[in-house]
Amino acid sequence: MKRVIFLLALLLGACSTAPQRTLPPVVDGTQPRTTQPEAADSVERPDRVEAPVPTPAPSGGAVVALLDRADAYHQSGDISNEAATVERALRIDPNNGRLWNRLAVIRLDQGQPRQAEQLALKSNALSRGDTRLQAQNWRLVAKARWSMNDSAGARAAEQKIREPH
Amino acid sequence: MARKKRTTRRRSSKKRRKSKRRHSRFPWTKILLSLLVVLLAYVVFLDIRVHRQFEGKRWSLPARVYARPLELYAGLHLTSEQFASELRALGYRSVRVARKAGEVSRNGKRFQLISRPFVFWDGQESSQSVRVTFSSTHLKSLQDDRNGGALALARLDPLEIGSIHTARQEDRILLRLGDIPDILVEALIAVEDRNFYTHHGVSPPAIARALWVNLSSGRVVQGGSTLTQQLVKNFFLSNQRSLWRKFNEAIMSLLLEWRYDKDEILEAYLNEIYLAQDGQRAIHGFGLGSRFFFQRPPQELSTAQIALLVGMVKGPSYYDPRRHPDRARERRNLVLRIMHEQGIIDRAQYQKSRTEKLGLVKPAAGTSKTFPAFLDMVRRQLRRDYDESDLVTEGLRIFTTLDPQLQWALQKSLDQQIRPVLKKQPQLQGAGLVTHSANGEVLALAGGREAGFAGFNRALDARRHVGSLIKPAVYLTALERSARYNLASLIDDGPLEYEQSGQLWNPNNYDRKFHGQVMLYQALADSYNVATARLGLDLGVNAVIKTLRRLSVDQPLNPYPSLFLGATDLSLLDVTHLYLNFASGGFQVPLRSIREVLDADSVPLQRYQLSVERVIDPAPAYLINRALQMVVVEGTARSLNRRFAAALGLAGKTGTTNDLRDSWFAGYDGEKLAVIWMGRDDNQPMGLSGASGAMQVWAGLFASAGAVKQQLAKPDSVEWYRVDRPSAGLADKGCKDTVQLPFIESQAKPAAAPCAQGRPLRWLPEWLQ
Repeated sequence: MKRVIFLLALLLGACSTAPQRTLPPVVDGTQPRTTQPEAADSVERPDRVEAPVPTPAPSGGAVVALLDRADAYHQSGDISNEAATVERALRIDPNNGRLWNRLAVIRLDQGQPRQAEQLALKSNALSRGDTRLQAQNWRLVAKARWSMNDSAGARAAEQKIREPH
Repeated sequence: MARKKRTTRRRSSKKRRKSKRRHSRFPWTKILLSLLVVLLAYVVFLDIRVHRQFEGKRWSLPARVYARPLELYAGLHLTSEQFASELRALGYRSVRVARKAGEVSRNGKRFQLISRPFVFWDGQESSQSVRVTFSSTHLKSLQDDRNGGALALARLDPLEIGSIHTARQEDRILLRLGDIPDILVEALIAVEDRNFYTHHGVSPPAIARALWVNLSSGRVVQGGSTLTQQLVKNFFLSNQRSLWRKFNEAIMSLLLEWRYDKDEILEAYLNEIYLAQDGQRAIHGFGLGSRFFFQRPPQELSTAQIALLVGMVKGPSYYDPRRHPDRARERRNLVLRIMHEQGIIDRAQYQKSRTEKLGLVKPAAGTSKTFPAFLDMVRRQLRRDYDESDLVTEGLRIFTTLDPQLQWALQKSLDQQIRPVLKKQPQLQGAGLVTHSANGEVLALAGGREAGFAGFNRALDARRHVGSLIKPAVYLTALERSARYNLASLIDDGPLEYEQSGQLWNPNNYDRKFHGQVMLYQALADSYNVATARLGLDLGVNAVIKTLRRLSVDQPLNPYPSLFLGATDLSLLDVTHLYLNFASGGFQVPLRSIREVLDADSVPLQRYQLSVERVIDPAPAYLINRALQMVVVEGTARSLNRRFAAALGLAGKTGTTNDLRDSWFAGYDGEKLAVIWMGRDDNQPMGLSGASGAMQVWAGLFASAGAVKQQLAKPDSVEWYRVDRPSAGLADKGCKDTVQLPFIESQAKPAAAPCAQGRPLRWLPEWLQ
């Protein structure tokens, strides 16, 4: 059951992380949702450009299949192959923040807190809008920093867990 | 018989002893004994020698190097043509209906194939029967052929791209006896040594027969060598036909048979026998022979192909099917006849196989020559981690990151740009390096204009002025001071004179014009030298050097303001490191050309794991990426818009050095970064700018490989605004000529544009002060 939830979350992740980064239209294309201009205070509230609508990642099935396999490796304690399999999934879907988070968790298991921290930061860079994943990542960052005796850094990360996103 | 001789001798010596008394007693016993000892010692010596060879050869295996395996899944960026070329390279046979591993049937954009089993790092990938359908740009669907159900993923066997062998340049693919088709073994025994399973290493009847035939014809036409003798002969690779050598061979054959069983000897023979020469490389054994001539493993050979290989044992160069096809065919058909006579194949098979074509692959495909520049990089990485002797003898299996599709596309594009100019510029050279932005894997590498030429590796070893390619480091340094600079900050591109230690520096623009006040992004997009120099001077050389060091450029950098314009030598590799920081969204990713190393028994030895390190904060990383996209949108790389859709969000930077000596382009899409260089080895002008040379190679590469949409990950701290171009102020609907730019929300942004406030344009001059 836990795994089903994880897979669902992953699929949602694939939908929500990858595509929200399409370029805004360039040089005066269609005007997206403009507020009525008020000449006087348009300085304070100028036109913002809206983010485009997400589209689902087409390779989701392959990534889910690989994560199934990674889970199996995890259960059998084969951490090296678990890592290799998640890296394999990342080649297919490099913008999936959940995959980077998974790899960060693995690196912490492998006794590589520095990499765990960095991979969690990478995951966060790709997880805009996914506050739960971001909180997970900050928790991971904090844990990794504690284990590197970076207490100031760890506290800063813990602060981020509590921050609203 | 020997004993008899000895006793007679002993008797006669007794007589002599008696007659001549003590004085002249000849020491026969001693001599004989010493002779025996010498002979025994010699036999022991031969035994050690042949034993060492046998054991050594069993394990003296070059490292095998593989490209990345192709992963098939719905949504993969791959055309049916690219897929077909990959299958061709892998030696998949085109058939009407695929029934065996390594067969494929194609109907337009639909393929039905049976993949080969293969042992990877994470275990065995078993053979799969799949149906693959393509759209014009993508793999549309992947199905299990047996039940029609959708398959999530299938992994093909990887293309073998080379081997790392000994100084003797012997190359082989080790086969276990079980991997070799029975019919090959039976044919070999039938043709070369029918008594193999009964003799003890030498076959007196065979020698007698050979002797008789040779004597009666007056020359050597038949050899009486057993397989064991041939194996021994191959061990020592001497072609002289002396009696002494024959004697040694016979003794060693007896010794081998005494020490090892028939199957061990047969296995060694099948792996050892010399079959062909590929330039410097000697092709040993049926495993490599099968690949060399047919580009497939022995299990997949047809009867006729097996007969051809077996026939070649007798004279690899005389029966070389590429040089002497008629001779080879005749020999093959003779082998087929023997196979039929011996009951190995039936009449129908015999008749069918006799008429079959030789079916050879072109010699270039699948040989070590194909990707020498990339292999060079792999070797360098391996030599850091392994002893040379382990590499050439331990049979390591090296799984690299090379993407053959991209490699072919890169080589083709380089060739297409350089070939037409060669008449005017015979010394024009080019190089390129393609990497996966997110994980740093090297996907393709060209070290020169000639694809298969193993020479000076320009991608790794040539260091040249980089020109404007360095500018993003200057602009990033500025954008990281977000209190002072944003993408719309105005920079003066008016005439500049700067004096340093008595020397006057007055940089000029490529178009020899000055452009007045320009927005920061625009100065980068249009690659304005003067504005960049001014910005750099404001930041300081040391600040820019510090940025470059952080972005993993570790070459010596010249600490003068001319550094801002790229007057410093970097290699293509250095430039790739630099731009990977941008392409990966601010993370430094170490380059890797190897994923995994397994030992000869496929036991995992080492993984080169993915690692990242954040070197640019998310917000400035986003801004510099947008600026590099603007280079394509409206800057020096805007001609790319003719070939690529704007929505792809391509980013990049052109670089041109003084008098058109170097033409550079570094550019990336949502998946990969490619850096291209063109120029001459003697550093003379060659008439191409970054946009007219290297960028065209880049465009050709991405057009044929397929560009992937780039979706920059926008940090929460960044928002987009419209900016009025004439005034560089924040715009609204009232402004006509605008550009959309991202800003860090918490930092200072430009003031409102005159058009946004409804004020007259006379404000403009004041803005520009």
